[in-house]
Amino acid sequence: MSRKLNLGMAVNEAIHIAMETDPDVILMGEDVAGGGDREGDGIDEMGGVLGTTKGLVKSFPDRVLDTPISEMGIVGTAVGAAATGMRPVVELMFVDFLGTCLDPLLNQAAKLRYMFGGKARIPLTVRTVSGAGMQAAAQHSQSLYWMTAGIPGLKTVIPSNPADAKGLLLASIRDDNPVIFCEAKLVLGATGEVPEGDYEVPIGKASLVREGGDVSLIGFGGTVAVCQRAAKKLAAEGIEADVLDLRSLQPLDEEAILTTLAKTGRVVVVDESTPRSSVASDVAALCVDQGFDSLETPVKRVTAPHSPVPFSRPLEQAYLPSPERVIEAVRSQG
Amino acid sequence: MRPTPIESNPGRSQNTGQNTGESSAMNLTREQLLDAYRKMRMIRAFEEKLGELVAAGKMGGFMHLYAGEEAVAVGVCAQLGQRDTVASTHRGHGHCIAKGVDVGAMMAELFGRASGTCKGKGGSMHIADVEKGMLGANGIVGAGIPLTTGAALTAKLKRSGGVAVAFFGDGATNQGAFHESLNMAANWKLPALYVVENNGFGEFTPTEFVVPVKDIAVRAGSYAMESAIADGMDFFDVYEKAGEALEHCRSGHGPVLLECKTYRFAGHFVGDPLVYRSKEEAEDWIQNRDPLDRFESHCVEAQLVDADDLRQIDHAVQEELEAAVEAAEAAPFPDLSEITTDVYYTPPGEGGAR
Amino acid sequence: MSATAIAMPRLGMTMEEGTIVEWPVPVGGPVEKGQIVLVIETEKAESEIEAVVGGFFRHAFVEPGETVPCGALLGAITDEADEAFDAEGFAASYVPPEGSVTESDEAAESVATPGPAAETPAAVQGGRRPVAPAARALARKLGVDLDRVDGSGPGGRVTKQDVEAFASARERLFQVEDGVGLEVLREGEGDPVVLLPGFGTDVSSFAFQSAALVDGYELVGVNPRGVAGSDAPDLERYEVARAAADVASVLAEAPPAHVVGASLGAAVALELALEHPDRVRSLVLVTPFVEASPRLLAFADAWVRLAAEAKPETLSAFLAPWLFGEDLLSDPARRERTLRGLAQAVRRIPAATLERSAAGLEQWSGSRTDALGRLRVPTLVLAAGEDLLTPGAEALAASIEGARVETLEGAGHALAIDAADDVTRLIRAHLAAS
Repeated sequence: MSRKLNLGMAVNEAIHIAMETDPDVILMGEDVAGGGDREGDGIDEMGGVLGTTKGLVKSFPDRVLDTPISEMGIVGTAVGAAATGMRPVVELMFVDFLGTCLDPLLNQAAKLRYMFGGKARIPLTVRTVSGAGMQAAAQHSQSLYWMTAGIPGLKTVIPSNPADAKGLLLASIRDDNPVIFCEAKLVLGATGEVPEGDYEVPIGKASLVREGGDVSLIGFGGTVAVCQRAAKKLAAEGIEADVLDLRSLQPLDEEAILTTLAKTGRVVVVDESTPRSSVASDVAALCVDQGFDSLETPVKRVTAPHSPVPFSRPLEQAYLPSPERVIEAVRSQG
Repeated sequence: MRPTPIESNPGRSQNTGQNTGESSAMNLTREQLLDAYRKMRMIRAFEEKLGELVAAGKMGGFMHLYAGEEAVAVGVCAQLGQRDTVASTHRGHGHCIAKGVDVGAMMAELFGRASGTCKGKGGSMHIADVEKGMLGANGIVGAGIPLTTGAALTAKLKRSGGVAVAFFGDGATNQGAFHESLNMAANWKLPALYVVENNGFGEFTPTEFVVPVKDIAVRAGSYAMESAIADGMDFFDVYEKAGEALEHCRSGHGPVLLECKTYRFAGHFVGDPLVYRSKEEAEDWIQNRDPLDRFESHCVEAQLVDADDLRQIDHAVQEELEAAVEAAEAAPFPDLSEITTDVYYTPPGEGGAR
Repeated sequence: MSATAIAMPRLGMTMEEGTIVEWPVPVGGPVEKGQIVLVIETEKAESEIEAVVGGFFRHAFVEPGETVPCGALLGAITDEADEAFDAEGFAASYVPPEGSVTESDEAAESVATPGPAAETPAAVQGGRRPVAPAARALARKLGVDLDRVDGSGPGGRVTKQDVEAFASARERLFQVEDGVGLEVLREGEGDPVVLLPGFGTDVSSFAFQSAALVDGYELVGVNPRGVAGSDAPDLERYEVARAAADVASVLAEAPPAHVVGASLGAAVALELALEHPDRVRSLVLVTPFVEASPRLLAFADAWVRLAAEAKPETLSAFLAPWLFGEDLLSDPARRERTLRGLAQAVRRIPAATLERSAAGLEQWSGSRTDALGRLRVPTLVLAAGEDLLTPGAEALAASIEGARVETLEGAGHALAIDAADDVTRLIRAHLAAS
């Protein structure tokens, strides 16, 4: 059985299941309860700035913790709690706020297990909203998964649809490693069939969401839909595209990437982030490094430009990868 | 979880004072006293040995020695049990020894050997033994403070009765992590003991150059949190104040900030030219306030232990240390394949994560 | 009421594409069957195309100046001036004639009959040829020499499909001794006529003749070792005797053939006639030699050296004054067209082949001077009035019993191109008579 949910509802459901099935799971963050345990006083709760966690505090009043606006304190505390037996789910309102809490992720969560010679586990999940598309401008629209994906010790996932979001979040919460779970703004509004009940989508496994033999379009998060739309238009011209949804940026499903490359010989990677040191560049490098003999054309990257995210609507739309730019990239491969 | 409404509590600062002799420390048994001395002596000897080894070029890495501050680590940790955790600093060897981490494994770790506490992958600034409740030395100033807040949150949610202790320097109290943590811990009434080791210098800069308050303990006031000040060179004073603080934490009254006034005998790190402090000042602390000397004279005068007992401990510590060095030097380095292990936890039966 | 297509004709075995020069009849104007309705330009020459039906010239799909593959739809003739004609629908339902080079099968065709390589961007000239990694890997696997594969991708990039097509074309090569595969191009029906190209060229140098002779004969163009699609074994020299033996193998199952050879190809033809007389019905020797002049040897040496360093266009410009007569050289349009065609042809012959062929030429020179008297085969020798390279062609003819000689004034050594029509006419007459 499944029903149509949006991404936020799927996330909410995943957290509910995780908390129900494991008493060590706690939810912390700014406004995650949002004043919401005053049963009977007629006051409703916020459930986070986007209302994603609304209602959870009613089910788990002791384990949904509103925090002060102290990202360093929140994430640092969550790392300490994770190291000592809890399984915290932290909401970092927007990934842009990574700047205020990088140390607990970069130097603590990512490193403790290694520095301690394997004698620690950090089962921490940081949920965060990522990317452009809401005219939130330069400090609330970045796609910074490339930073966390580049830090050994952290895992980074980014679902492209509500069903994957639920399964990936459950897998993330139950993973004994720190996982950064990105909720792309471009996907937040999308609805889709979401299975009921408890299921996990394995971290590190990409998903081939469309099959075609002529070109491989590789996306993740919000760019999967961009690839799909481009693939439809290309099909009208007789070019059939594989569309690979990476889902997990670290660990990266290198095998799936190389498999689609071997099949089509040409790859276009579509990444919402800026191009330098990006996932797109990483995938392109992988194709050249490990898949060189399969390449029939140059690997093309479709990314945002190397600039902050602009506010103005037309500028923001032009900033984001579009199906037209993907098609242009395919054409430029010859 | 909602915060319990907080009663007006401006924080409580106590003046440093000599031990009055009417404290809980006076109830320590002879065995407890000898064990405390043994730990302090081991810390001192360990750090002196490291100084030699680094100078002789036998040991690498950044090395920050704890000599002079032994009474703080031992005075606090002597009252901690298995359920309690400790988060430490880059100057962390003392806390490890005080919390009961194996000295042989520590020495092997500092030599980068596979038999080290952390398989040779942590080194001086990252010695940890989570099984002993030791959440690690930490190379980032102030980073252990939120970790402790988190450990205290675990203790509270799991009702373990444990207390999470963070040791950190005066410098760390200028970090946002300190203030954010104290705010959260006080708000949630977490069982956390924040021990600031105020040794008068943040790296090379005198504390008063960068901190406008004379006593760091007063910073607790902003968070309506208990605080105390102890003579960090006096085992008995630290023991007593820490004991009261731990009791406060354990009984669910929330966190405490304990400031221990102390002094590091060596510089910030091994190789520090020490140009920023006067020889006279250092000599005064080292000659007149050495925590081991003070412990001995107090105990011997009060006829709690014999000086001979202590000399025997000195001898045994030295022997243990020599053996630890010998074993560490003879131990194998980690296999090169260890470079990429322990990056991620992989459940048994699953392939290694990439 | 119906419409008839005008398509880009295929004038000869090696023609891939043509350029529209002119539509002499205005759109809507009446056309009689046999009237010149179209002028096109190919690698070799300008050609006038006659209407195959009478009617009205209704639509031009391609404008003058455009270059399109053989078989492509160019125009339409309708029976009546005012009958309904849907140009778009006509184009959509147009089926190109069999064997034509249309875009859909371009890749396969371009190898089966090696066509002009895609234009190489200036930036790549003199540097590495662009080769797709997948093509490189496949070439390694199949043992294909990438230098011999034309690139059809952007900027002349060699694609995996190019290598696949090359390899499959190689499979179709005629296998002669020591495992060498030769590209043998066959077209037409009738008595076999073997075409043997001269030094540094392939059978495309007979394009004009083959376009005419295909009507009535089975043309068998043999690209020698190292030339165009034929294998290039790593030998010190490509000996003339060996080349003759190769041709004999090709002809093993066929009745005796008319053998047409130009220059070094004429040497092969002579050798064939001497060593395998049963294979030869008649000989046409175009600007032949039996003893290479010092100038011919020096010219071959210069060609070898230049080919290793210069662009095909440069090489072709250098060759022109040596190969063509002053009539051609003094006509700028003809000269330009000839240079372009020549550049395409020399592109298909690697420098190593030239070096080996030159060594074979030098070795053979003088070895058959006394043997010519033994020949008993109808022979036509075509000599050029302005031949700088093989001035002894007429004397050579005198040494062969019964040989007829025709000297074409005003033309140079590359007679088949320079005096294409005369050569065609004389060959046709000779074949008819033999």
